[in-house]
Amino acid sequence: MSPGRRLLLLAAGLFVSTLTVADPYTKEDQQRWEEEFQGVVKQGRQLWTDGKLGTNGVACAQCHPNAANTHPETYPKFQKQLGRVAGLWEMINWCLRNPLEGQPLAADDPKMVALLSYVTYERRGVKLEPGKH
Amino acid sequence: MPEARRVLLLSAGLLMSGALASFASADANLGLPPVPIPADNPQTADKIALGDKLFNEKRFSSTGEVACATCHDPAKAFTDSPLVTSEGINKLKGTRNAPSVINSAYFTSMFWDGRAPTMEKQAELPIINPIEMGLPNHDPVLKVVREDPQYIAAFQKVFGKSGERITMLEVTQAIAAFERTIVSGDSPFDRYYFGHDKAALSPSAVRGFDVFLNKGRCVSCHTIEQDRALFTDNRFHNIGVGVNRIQNEINDFAPRFLKAKADGVDVDNAVLSNPKASELGRFAVTSTLDEIGSFKTSTLRNIAVTAPFMHDGSLKTLSDVVDHYNNGGITDPKAHVNDFLSGGIRPLNLTDPEKADLVAFLESLTSPRFAAQGAAK
Amino acid sequence: MSRLRSDRRSFLKTATAAGVAGVLPLSLIELSFAKPADNFTFAYISDAHIQQIKGTSFVRNWDRGLIRAVAEANLLTPRPDFVIFGGDLAQLGSKPELDHGAELLSKLNSKLYCVMGEHDYYLDLGAYWSKLFGPQQYSFDHKGVHFVVLNSILTYDDWTFNRWPSAEQRMAEMAGLDNPNGSPFLVGQKQRDWLAKDLKKVSRNTPLVVLSHSPLQKIYKGWNFWTDDAEQVQALLAPFEKVTVLYGHVHQIQYNKIGAIAFTSAMATAWPWPYPQTYAQAESHLPKLTVQMNRADPFFERDATGWQFIDVHTGRSDVRYNLYNNKSRLVAYNEQTQQPEDVDYQSPERRTASQSHF
Repeated sequence: MSPGRRLLLLAAGLFVSTLTVADPYTKEDQQRWEEEFQGVVKQGRQLWTDGKLGTNGVACAQCHPNAANTHPETYPKFQKQLGRVAGLWEMINWCLRNPLEGQPLAADDPKMVALLSYVTYERRGVKLEPGKH
Repeated sequence: MPEARRVLLLSAGLLMSGALASFASADANLGLPPVPIPADNPQTADKIALGDKLFNEKRFSSTGEVACATCHDPAKAFTDSPLVTSEGINKLKGTRNAPSVINSAYFTSMFWDGRAPTMEKQAELPIINPIEMGLPNHDPVLKVVREDPQYIAAFQKVFGKSGERITMLEVTQAIAAFERTIVSGDSPFDRYYFGHDKAALSPSAVRGFDVFLNKGRCVSCHTIEQDRALFTDNRFHNIGVGVNRIQNEINDFAPRFLKAKADGVDVDNAVLSNPKASELGRFAVTSTLDEIGSFKTSTLRNIAVTAPFMHDGSLKTLSDVVDHYNNGGITDPKAHVNDFLSGGIRPLNLTDPEKADLVAFLESLTSPRFAAQGAAK
Repeated sequence: MSRLRSDRRSFLKTATAAGVAGVLPLSLIELSFAKPADNFTFAYISDAHIQQIKGTSFVRNWDRGLIRAVAEANLLTPRPDFVIFGGDLAQLGSKPELDHGAELLSKLNSKLYCVMGEHDYYLDLGAYWSKLFGPQQYSFDHKGVHFVVLNSILTYDDWTFNRWPSAEQRMAEMAGLDNPNGSPFLVGQKQRDWLAKDLKKVSRNTPLVVLSHSPLQKIYKGWNFWTDDAEQVQALLAPFEKVTVLYGHVHQIQYNKIGAIAFTSAMATAWPWPYPQTYAQAESHLPKLTVQMNRADPFFERDATGWQFIDVHTGRSDVRYNLYNNKSRLVAYNEQTQQPEDVDYQSPERRTASQSHF
């Protein structure tokens, strides 16, 4: 085979192999990832109800059964208790510090991610209204 | 045109623009929204000048010695610091600490208990209060403004009115117009937060700002917003100052006060002359059980130069104030927390460095115009 | 402009406040009735949820709510005839919690009647509660009105006796409002029989006030805003001309009229609950009549909490909700429309922004 033809075949092969990995995920990936998310939602529910996030035994679920009245669909928004426009995770931290008398969590703390997952999941289907008080 | 006349006109023009500038400058008011001006009392330079004169008018007192400016002294950040409670005619002592006029244009009610709905209405009451300016009624005021030649000219110019047509409405509108120019922002905090000048606050004050927003929980009542900071929510809260002194007597005292009120006792007189009545706070005005011991949230702007603090002047320094809040609404940590305490007050568990930082932050709220006046640590 | 009183009389020297209505909200005084001698008032405090952290330390937030309600109720002049505590004094039904709650209630200077709540019951089936407060269901008469107190938070025997390995576990499960492992509230056959017997001796035109922790209606099952045998209980009450049901548990303002029965809820002194329709994943049935309470600012721990002051006149109950941090609400029985209505906010144009929940 001439070098030119070999090069052409090689390039064609590369092109073809790129095409076969163009779909980034499969149905199995999707299902697995969504299950992983649900696992985190479950952890969030556990944190929501076990009263251990703060120092006084108060659980988020006491005031927010099924995460009602948290309004994740309205964030970011002006949050009076923080004095500025803020994201949901910052208000969760306000609750951890105040009614729960505990310590705030970093935005990427697995517990915070779990809480956010649970709160948002319980509010699924509600249309976004960022900024709404 | 003759030279002298030209100079006169020029300087008059400068004076006018200077006067206008002083209540229209954006820089000096960095951090504040526009001053609310009621539709029926627009600002004019002449009205403001008249209001200034009336504000300083001692003939509005029975002894000829007390004017608004006596307790609201421009040289003392418009208070009578360091007096604990104010002194009126014959040095008669009242129950309440004189609030500053600075930025009071942003309040939606006046006095510590909100018993006057506007600045205009507020100006009427101290004149006829027996321990403040002591006049029996407003007639002596009207006599002065209707007969003094300077006032005759001024009222004619400002309101187009003379003689019987000059009433307390015009007098108080002029005073209010003057007070609406006593506004200032542009403190180091404003330059740091709204002016994005990172060097404007000391590291201690920056840490103190964090305490203010978070562990100290101050921001919910002493409000800061995205582009402005009034440092007051214009609401009334029982934070455990003063009311603690009468808490064992409230069951008996509160109903008796209401009976007296129903019988016609004047609230303005009662709260300034009777220390126990003074502690009832907003309840004395609204008769609402929920408001026992509640007082209006002060603005914190220029707070450092208006010591002592609280409605009864009972807290001498900003450290004392921070301690009171840190204790959860009691000054003496062993005192009993009063039953009517606001739901927003609770022990804060601040460390000593956090307290000191918070004080440093509070000190950064002083506008340059008043910074030279004594600060109370 | 106010004039000085020339006598300069110090109000501290005025006569004692006998019969002064000054501490009462003035609008209550304006309600005048055909036979004023029939009127009486009582205070209704509910859902304190005293919660132990450890030893003698309790959640301060809930403590302060009960302290405040008691202090304000003590200021009422003239004094109310009695005070009802509407249930859920404790959070987990423990002796320390019930004792601490009882201690705070002991500061009331009126006679106290108590209603059982599920948070008081499921640890020991109300044994310690009964030691402190007496029978779990009972009735009494007062100035011509027949009061019935029900234990309406019972549930199916299987759940109560067989489901859980320990009393603590059972209490913990019932304590979670949104717990899918919970069980619907019941008055139950036995108690309904007792009720039927009790009501036999009451004539149809005697006004009836029923105190219950659960709503005796079916509002939202997911949060046990629900009584499973509501229809049967309502049927027992139906023959009477003037019935008021006062219920706790929901921690919010609700009121309704079903047939001849006017239902009115109590606020909690501890914390507010969201309205069921704010839970997007389930359907619920809040009475259309209800003008909702304000949305709470959680910074003010007493916001959207409160207690009730009830004026019984001609057999009907007007309920004043004393809300902290907000204007009080008066839900009065409207004789024209024959239903409870908020005197300020019932018509839609008069609602305030903070009364809309989503």
